[in-house]
Amino acid sequence: MHEISLVQNLLGQLDSLVRENGRTKVTKVTMEVGLLSGVVIDSFQFGFDVLTAENPICRGAELEIMVPPVLYSCTGCSYEISTRKEKPEMCPECGDNIFNHTGSEDLVLLRVELE
Amino acid sequence: MCDSCGCHPHHHHDHDHSHGTSQTVDVQKSLFDANNVLAAQNRNHFDSHNIVALNLISSPGSGKTTLLERTIDEIGSEISIGVIEGDIETERDADRIRAKGVPVIQLTTGGACHLDANMIHTGFHKLQNEKDGDSIKLLFIENVGNLVCPATFDLGEHRRVVLVSVPEGPDKPAKYPKAFTSSSLFLVTKTDLLPYFDFPVDEAMGEAKRLNPEIESISCSSTTGEGFEAWLDYLRDLVRD
Repeated sequence: MHEISLVQNLLGQLDSLVRENGRTKVTKVTMEVGLLSGVVIDSFQFGFDVLTAENPICRGAELEIMVPPVLYSCTGCSYEISTRKEKPEMCPECGDNIFNHTGSEDLVLLRVELE
Repeated sequence: MCDSCGCHPHHHHDHDHSHGTSQTVDVQKSLFDANNVLAAQNRNHFDSHNIVALNLISSPGSGKTTLLERTIDEIGSEISIGVIEGDIETERDADRIRAKGVPVIQLTTGGACHLDANMIHTGFHKLQNEKDGDSIKLLFIENVGNLVCPATFDLGEHRRVVLVSVPEGPDKPAKYPKAFTSSSLFLVTKTDLLPYFDFPVDEAMGEAKRLNPEIESISCSSTTGEGFEAWLDYLRDLVRD
């Protein structure tokens, strides 16, 4: 459950954003979760629900999570596959079975709505 | 400048829409940034002291501490080794390493499932104050036994090593891909138990390779020493480079 420590980090950033912008409350948080980030979306949502409930600035805030597809590229022929499903087993072009990926390893705070 | 309402951003990186009572701020900031910045500082610090740092990750009981004990026995006189032990509770692992006569400190996370770069920063300074702590050339960081969470946190290591012991079964790479995609070396441990378990070593290594085309693989037993020379050579090469 490292998601809890990541949510704690997020709440610290939200607190700073509220103060920097002279606001009092966070109403919506939009995150991008990479499928290869090692972050379990349900656990992150759970941690967000639990920790925001105790936090006056973020209580009741909505969490929106965007999950972009992973771009895999075949090491044999560079054929690219974009998918939210598991890593491809085999390249439909050349039959190779080793793929590299780009991105999808990050956890990014995209934007917040403040009041 | 915002196309829809013509407002100007307040901050260099924030894109700001103020509409009466509510406001949207574009942040675009990674939650891993804080840890990654500290990890990069740790790496620079290790580099400036000519230290090679390895982060060992595995499930609990894969033989990380036993691997270190034998490694110290085998090359401790050849390469100055230091160890940072990470556990949720107890000094037990540090006690085992201390008995081998190398500088060691124990980090207890008090429940946290992984080490982070900040703990390593503090821990390394403590380690340098231990006897012989200022002459370390090879630093092992033994992470909390957990094949999930530690994979997400860069500690500033130069190489990450993922261990799977023979009794755990060969499907660990498939089940815990992040640990393998983020590691440089896959170590299959406890190979002395291969006669008693169905663990096709080549298959497990192939699966790791499929997940991470760059990963190297070594199998060894800390009990019999089988395969250990390849592991020691891997370490010797790292320190030499």
